[in-house]
Amino acid sequence: MSDQTLGAGPKRIDGRLKVTGQAPYAADHALDNTAYGYGVFSTISRGRIVSLELDAARAMPGVIEIFHHGNFPALHHTPSSMAKGNKVEETRLPFEDERIYYDGQFVALVVAERFDQARAAAQAVKVRYEEETPRANLEQGVKAHGTKKGKGNHSRGDADGAFERGTHQIDVTYTTPVETHNPMEMHSTLAHWPDGRLQVFESSQGVVQQKGAMAKIFNLAPHKVEVISTFIGSGFGSKLWMWPHAVAAAAASREIKRPVELVVPRQQMFTTTGHRPETEQTLKLATDDQGRLIALSHHSVSTTSYTDQYVETCGSVTKSLYSCDNVSITHRTTEVNRGTPTSMRAPGAAPGLFALESAIDEMALEAGIDPLTFRLNQFAERDESQDLPFSSNHIKEAAERAAEQFGWHQRNPKVGSMRDGREIVGYGMAACNWEAIKRPCDAHVALRADGTVYASCATQDIGTGTYTIVAQTLVELTGVPFERIEVELGDTSYPKGPISGGSWTTATTLPAIAEATRHAIDELKTRAVRSGGPFEGVDVEALTFDNGVLSFEGKRIPFAEALSTMKLANAEGEAHTEGADTSKYSYRSFGTHFVEVRWDPLLANLRVARVVSAIDVGRVMNEKTARNQVEGAVVMGIGMAMFERTEYDPRTARVVNNNYAEYLVPVHADQPEVDVILLDYPDTAFNEFGARGIGEIGITGLAAAVANAVYHATGVRVRELPITKEALMGAV
Amino acid sequence: MTEYFDPKTQGGATSKSRRNFLKTVGASGVAAASTPLWAQTTQARAAETPEGDPVKASAPAPGMSRIQLNVNGVERTVDVAPQMVLLDVLRNELGLTGTKKGCDQGQCGACTVLVNGQAINSCLSLAISHQSDEITTIEGLERDGELHPVQQAFWEHDAFQCGYCTSGQIMSAVAVLNDDRIGQSDAAVREAMSGNICRCGAYKNILAAVQDARKTMKGGV
Repeated sequence: MSDQTLGAGPKRIDGRLKVTGQAPYAADHALDNTAYGYGVFSTISRGRIVSLELDAARAMPGVIEIFHHGNFPALHHTPSSMAKGNKVEETRLPFEDERIYYDGQFVALVVAERFDQARAAAQAVKVRYEEETPRANLEQGVKAHGTKKGKGNHSRGDADGAFERGTHQIDVTYTTPVETHNPMEMHSTLAHWPDGRLQVFESSQGVVQQKGAMAKIFNLAPHKVEVISTFIGSGFGSKLWMWPHAVAAAAASREIKRPVELVVPRQQMFTTTGHRPETEQTLKLATDDQGRLIALSHHSVSTTSYTDQYVETCGSVTKSLYSCDNVSITHRTTEVNRGTPTSMRAPGAAPGLFALESAIDEMALEAGIDPLTFRLNQFAERDESQDLPFSSNHIKEAAERAAEQFGWHQRNPKVGSMRDGREIVGYGMAACNWEAIKRPCDAHVALRADGTVYASCATQDIGTGTYTIVAQTLVELTGVPFERIEVELGDTSYPKGPISGGSWTTATTLPAIAEATRHAIDELKTRAVRSGGPFEGVDVEALTFDNGVLSFEGKRIPFAEALSTMKLANAEGEAHTEGADTSKYSYRSFGTHFVEVRWDPLLANLRVARVVSAIDVGRVMNEKTARNQVEGAVVMGIGMAMFERTEYDPRTARVVNNNYAEYLVPVHADQPEVDVILLDYPDTAFNEFGARGIGEIGITGLAAAVANAVYHATGVRVRELPITKEALMGAV
Repeated sequence: MTEYFDPKTQGGATSKSRRNFLKTVGASGVAAASTPLWAQTTQARAAETPEGDPVKASAPAPGMSRIQLNVNGVERTVDVAPQMVLLDVLRNELGLTGTKKGCDQGQCGACTVLVNGQAINSCLSLAISHQSDEITTIEGLERDGELHPVQQAFWEHDAFQCGYCTSGQIMSAVAVLNDDRIGQSDAAVREAMSGNICRCGAYKNILAAVQDARKTMKGGV
């Protein structure tokens, strides 16, 4: 049983469902009489719809209805408050008016008897537009109307003055492109209205937020909405908040009085379900003659949409990773004709640390110091941006252990000096960093008379292993093995749980589960000592519960037997746990990546051959799933470093690579050798289990480590992601 | 006698009634295979399973064609329009939702199934072209509660996160492991599996699972 407690690495409790195809994802749910929707999407990026020609489509087989701005029911806006539980990222409703703000915007929705019929009819809808010149990219946005002040700005000391006094200076600009999450499962909604209630099966990272938003938009009492997301084909941030398709499906279902299934086509996953925005980041760093960092400025501009004001906070880590008295962080945005951006795995930090950790590398080399030594000398001992101690920080150990395992000290620092046959080998490293957050959470646990233990919470398992670590928490506190544990997640019928984002699900959910479990055990004991109970008259404080057994002075009764004796179905516990107290500590996770690249100048081929990452995320709850998270984030980081870029035609602002064949993501053949070291120091100041969260940190810094290794191999400093062969051709 | 779905009495092929039919089949007495399940990727399933859909009395609706498919050893009869792809027929008409739609354009591999032993992208294949074909989906690998070695290895090695690409990865892995033309090295497996994207990036564990399953299958045959 010990192999199922917290900290061990049991295989997933839901694993059998996943390997047999039985895990139900949103579009796998079957409802009688379901109709299928397919969108008609705008082919311009700015302008208005003049007319829609629907007759041909209406006459096609199976077509039930075609919705558009001329006949779509009037709905309401959600206030979009995360605190109130009704946030969306794109506040404009689908079919709200005739305006077009971006390529791939919903302009109509065909609903038909079958999927293929809906798609065929959608393709037969003709739309006439009045087109205006779009702002296709960051440069065009800035040129057209400048920038707006964003959030998360920070200043201490005098960064500009200190920069001027510096002995060594770096003043460089980095750019990162739009990246698209591209979870394997396309956004999917199956909506219906049983008895005037709205029930939605959604691929969602945040059912509670979607429920709140749906209630506002359809003007329903909250209890009339249920959102279910028991399994999700991942999201990486794109499924945190509901997108227009879900509203369209729910409204269509209400109008035609049938369940409606709507899957967003892969092409529109690039347009109408969020993306990581384009960024331009200027870094100004200076050191004194000893190589101490005395000035650090990080000024960024990111793109946002015309309908909403998303800000990519690129400098969020720059504030606190290094010790520096003079720091200036600003975030600004510029509007472009693209869909609304949203959080993508490690928002802010992923593009921000590409820039910062590339600049630190440049700064170290400029000052003549080994990049690892430079960092070890100046990692912050406390959070200087908040003037608070870190709750737990082992970044130096992470750097030293990863360096040792990687073989950093065998590195010849001279550019292009390390060869292996035809290939030139480059070594690079970078720090990684992510915030640790704990939110309020509710949970329910029951010890049941059949000997099983049950837990429920509305939070989701998005592939991170939440089902499994909740089960491990129950094993830990009750001694009951997986075989007799049932966990239900991802349904707004269950107690309120957090969005699966920000790497905070573990730290938020497990304390609530644990508290509810303790309450259930207390309830069991209280009942057991009452009149008619198996321990009648015993002082409740003297009664113990251990490994599923109640005992007092040699009398031992398993909880199932005790409940059966009392004719009780169960002993239940509810819990509400609060967010972390942020007044005493700064909570963050830390780590380092070491990367080996190989550059073959003859074939102009670049590949990542090896990665060693050491990660300090507090206590590791499940060794197997935690390692998998970091390994997967490293793979996505390789994509960010070398492949991923959503490309927009500068004339039309239309996405030109809106598919998996042209928007490149890593495949099996790109997989390098990856070794992950998990430091596993419990952060008990943060929560009772000492876990901080692990989903996002692994992608941060990885692209910089690759870029730094590429410089070491080729002498080319690439400041624009992705790092393409073309950028290195000069080094041949 | 197993209770079959009857289109005459149940008034059309709604997904739900189809699914009930499948559940019934799944729960009925399936004889244990005498040779290990994984030794047979597509063949010899018919003998182990009940007879499939009953003969349909009425003619197909206008524009529809009636085809027979052998899906996981069960003879199925289904009316399809010419443009319907195998993936949508499996999912929406036959209720076999274990096969996933990841892109609908043959680029991601999530919809991989075996047709006469060959791995194909079912989203790119017209259902009408599969008359009498033997189709194996993820639902067809398990037998009597015993997982196929590839399924078991995926679970043991945590060779997935979200699980959405997993059906396709497993079907490709079964095909790869049964294809003598594909080498056994890690590099060969990576190359052969590269048509199956895992956006969660569990490639390291998938490779470990495939190589581990190879050993089990060798030992078992």
